[in-house]
Amino acid sequence: MSLPLTANHPTLNARRMDGVLDWAQMLTGVGLIAFMWAHMLLVGSVLLSPEIMNSIAAFFENSGMAQVGGPLIFALFLAHFVLAARKIPFRLEGQKTIWEHAKLIHHADTWLWVVQAASAMVILIMGAIHMWAVLSDLPIVALKAAETLQRNKWWLAFYLLLAPLVHVHLGIGLYRIAVKWGFAGRAERRGLKRFATLIVLVSVGISVLTLFRFWFMVA
Amino acid sequence: MARNLKFNIFRYNPQDPESTPHMETFSLEETDSLTLFIALNRIREEQDPSLQFDFCCRAGICGSCGMVINGRPGLACHTKTKDLPDEITLLPLPVFQLVGDLSVDTGSWFRELYDTVESWIHTSKTFDPNAQEERMEDAVAEAIYELDRCIECGCCIAACGTARMRPDFLGAAGINKVGRFLIDPRDERTEQDYYEILGTDMGIFGCMGLLACEDVCPKHMPLQNQLGFLRRKMGITALKNFFGK
Repeated sequence: MSLPLTANHPTLNARRMDGVLDWAQMLTGVGLIAFMWAHMLLVGSVLLSPEIMNSIAAFFENSGMAQVGGPLIFALFLAHFVLAARKIPFRLEGQKTIWEHAKLIHHADTWLWVVQAASAMVILIMGAIHMWAVLSDLPIVALKAAETLQRNKWWLAFYLLLAPLVHVHLGIGLYRIAVKWGFAGRAERRGLKRFATLIVLVSVGISVLTLFRFWFMVA
Repeated sequence: MARNLKFNIFRYNPQDPESTPHMETFSLEETDSLTLFIALNRIREEQDPSLQFDFCCRAGICGSCGMVINGRPGLACHTKTKDLPDEITLLPLPVFQLVGDLSVDTGSWFRELYDTVESWIHTSKTFDPNAQEERMEDAVAEAIYELDRCIECGCCIAACGTARMRPDFLGAAGINKVGRFLIDPRDERTEQDYYEILGTDMGIFGCMGLLACEDVCPKHMPLQNQLGFLRRKMGITALKNFFGK
């Protein structure tokens, strides 16, 4: 290896962190994917009946899991942002480079990465707002959620944007983890992409239906 | 009826202070089995002798004619015009130093790469010219050969989002090169030695998995599989080191 030329060259220990941070980025991502799917199904239970959703919510609140788990998920969410942000260009110079690059090479996976990075920024802000809004106003009751959406149409618009963005981000993330870590090889790539697309479509479908269930709910 | 092809070609001579980067248009009538190799040579011979581009083998072996063809890095000699639309835009490969027009210096880049990854067999054995060659399992030899097929044309580097953003990134060609020595039983480097080269954001952990390398490689090198394998391997070493074995 080349000799360090400056006193602040990366030390052996600091450089060792790259691999561990990459694991952490992947594992926080996997954790958030699992959480989001569970979240979607639990809230989506309102499609079966508001009582089922209420009793699930009550279970998580009475056992204290919402009060403790909520902030923990928020911490995981922030950790994932910080870890993944290591790869996102925050300077205009880098942003221009990757944008020009994506426009040049007409390559779907490169565009998917741009979508991933851009959606991350929106999810960071909107997700934080959502978590604050819900966790600072427990308990979670179907009718209360319906009232919030119906009283202020902007909340409906907010969630109609956030939910699809989250699921697109999740789907791309899932695909990317599988190809990056070699869980899916060359032969599996196409099938995996189709599978991820299907999951995104189904998830967005469930989420949008859930939102409209709240929108049309009558007291 | 033969098509009339329109070529938009990047022109710039960094040696000439008068020259500024611009696109220049050439027209050429398409002939049977026309490749970009033949087309560019015809343009140079018939229209503009100052046009610079690199060619050597014209058979996809030397790797010198890499350029950006309608947005995609590829080999000009491998590219038939019948697979392209009427309008063809040619740019030099990014990342590498521009020699002039479509010609870039991939040699210096790869030379630096060899130094960084020490791309030679590291062995303590002294070579005995009289001894019989050491034997190797067929499967191992095949696997090494598969990774050694890289012609270092630079297309994977030019197509890589990470390489575009950070100049110290080894890129698929570089990471694959280390992978080639990693499976070579003659190389005595240890897991930690390889980790020293690859186990950083300059190496395998810098890869963001955009897979443009896999999709543009003119030699169809197994880059996706190789990058995945090395990320897992180096990832395990990272954990071993972090948790103190």
